Amino acid sequence: MTTDLVLPVLRVRGLRKHFILHNVDGRRVDALHGIDLDVLPGEHLALAGSSGAGKSTLLRCIYRTYLPSEGEVHLRLTTGHEVDLATLSDAEMAGVRGSELGYVSQFLRAEPRRGPLDIVARAGVARGMDLSDARDAAAIALKRLNIDEALWDVYATVLSGGEKQRVNLAAGTISPPRLLLLDEPVSALDPSNREAALDLIADLTSHGVGVLAVFHDLEAMERLATRVVLMADGLISAQGPPTQILSTLTGVSR
Amino acid sequence: MTSHSPMERAPWVLKVENLGKVFGPMDSDVLAETGPEIGTSKSSRTGTVVAAWDVNFEVAAGEALGVIGESGSGKSTVMRAIAGDHEASHGAVWLRTRKGDVVNVAAIPDSARRALRVDELAVVYQDAAEGLDLGVTAGGNVADRLTAAGWRNFAEIRHRAAHLLGRTEVPLERMDDIVRQFSGGMRQRVQLAKALANNPPIVLFDEPTTGLDASVAAGVLDLIRDLLTELGIAAVVVSHDFSVIEMLTTRCIVMHHGRVVEEGLTDQLLEDPLHPYSQRLVAAART
Repeated sequence: MTTDLVLPVLRVRGLRKHFILHNVDGRRVDALHGIDLDVLPGEHLALAGSSGAGKSTLLRCIYRTYLPSEGEVHLRLTTGHEVDLATLSDAEMAGVRGSELGYVSQFLRAEPRRGPLDIVARAGVARGMDLSDARDAAAIALKRLNIDEALWDVYATVLSGGEKQRVNLAAGTISPPRLLLLDEPVSALDPSNREAALDLIADLTSHGVGVLAVFHDLEAMERLATRVVLMADGLISAQGPPTQILSTLTGVSR
Repeated sequence: MTSHSPMERAPWVLKVENLGKVFGPMDSDVLAETGPEIGTSKSSRTGTVVAAWDVNFEVAAGEALGVIGESGSGKSTVMRAIAGDHEASHGAVWLRTRKGDVVNVAAIPDSARRALRVDELAVVYQDAAEGLDLGVTAGGNVADRLTAAGWRNFAEIRHRAAHLLGRTEVPLERMDDIVRQFSGGMRQRVQLAKALANNPPIVLFDEPTTGLDASVAAGVLDLIRDLLTELGIAAVVVSHDFSVIEMLTTRCIVMHHGRVVEEGLTDQLLEDPLHPYSQRLVAAART
């Protein structure tokens, strides 16, 4: 079977994260207690669990916005090499971000005083597209996510929450990286815009992008996930096909 | 750490190695008597000030490194040691020149250092009076840097100066005005034009927008950001302002009482600062 040869794009082993709050009497907060996880190319792995379970912390540790305290985070690069993101130098990590590893958060963290078209096109350029291709691709992505063309060149700071979130998703998915981390990317969207966004995310996996995502709602997970990992108190408590894991969740009020 | 990286990284053009700047008598105990743990950069025994000690970093083309810290942390000392404004008392500041030579700024004669400041390395100061001759026109300030690099043809110099001032958004009709008549934001734009005159591979920014009105500072910051992405410069940005560091840099170091207390990716330092001082700094910036 050729599928046996598909190697994970992400292998997380024994990942732990704690925070020492020096300004609050040196208090220690343990957020992740040892996470083991694989993501295959073209797989959409959804992280489920209640607030505070460690889902966002896990994504941030992989992207290195949080520095892992212990453990390994192996990313397989386009070259076929594996690098450990937990110990990679800052300069190398900066190079991995973009074409190899992307992160779309709930909030647009774009540079100030830029318009949507510019923001999305620059994200494409950062992933190696030339500027005119990137602008074309940006226009297609913004149209697909129903961003009114009249807003394409106004500062993104004046957009509504839902518009910002769609601009953010467009920027994160243009010329997509090998592994994309999504943290509640559709939380502020109304039903029809949410539909367009989920549709775009579904396309990623069919193009071989590995996706590790946190969604607010079970319906999105049901529709997109190929596998669900359930987290509780900084640990993985269960994993399996969406139907199996999500049915246990609906039983416990979520 | 692996011996060979699978990723191709651009080689450094600026490498700061064990850099130190000490004022006063130095003996083996002075270091233990100063620093973040002691809470001062001045030895109470000898009066020696350790303005900077054991600073190490590399910057590649197209990369911007931030140096953040409060007044007296040593960040400007580091910048001035790189620029050669002050001589470092310890360590080395390596530049890779456009010809591919590697030179230690801390160990060359003044004349050679002045030549580097024309061709290889430019500084944009907080106070435009340090980077510009305020009694000369905007065009004259830029021309000055060009003639220092060997430009002789008047028409070519004027054309290049006009191009640079246009690039930094100085209205052309103000090219022949004396810089002293310019506003703070406009002076910074002239400084930028002058700094970029000879396409230096390295540009240092020392609090480039501090003291400007918010809207003016935003315009200058946008300009610097665009120039950095377009020109592939290796940049060092010194600031006490996290929003400046966040907008312009991908990596940064945090200095406190003359020492580097933390280094990391800029977003990591903002979201997950590990050192007690970095945590205080970020907490203060967020209120």
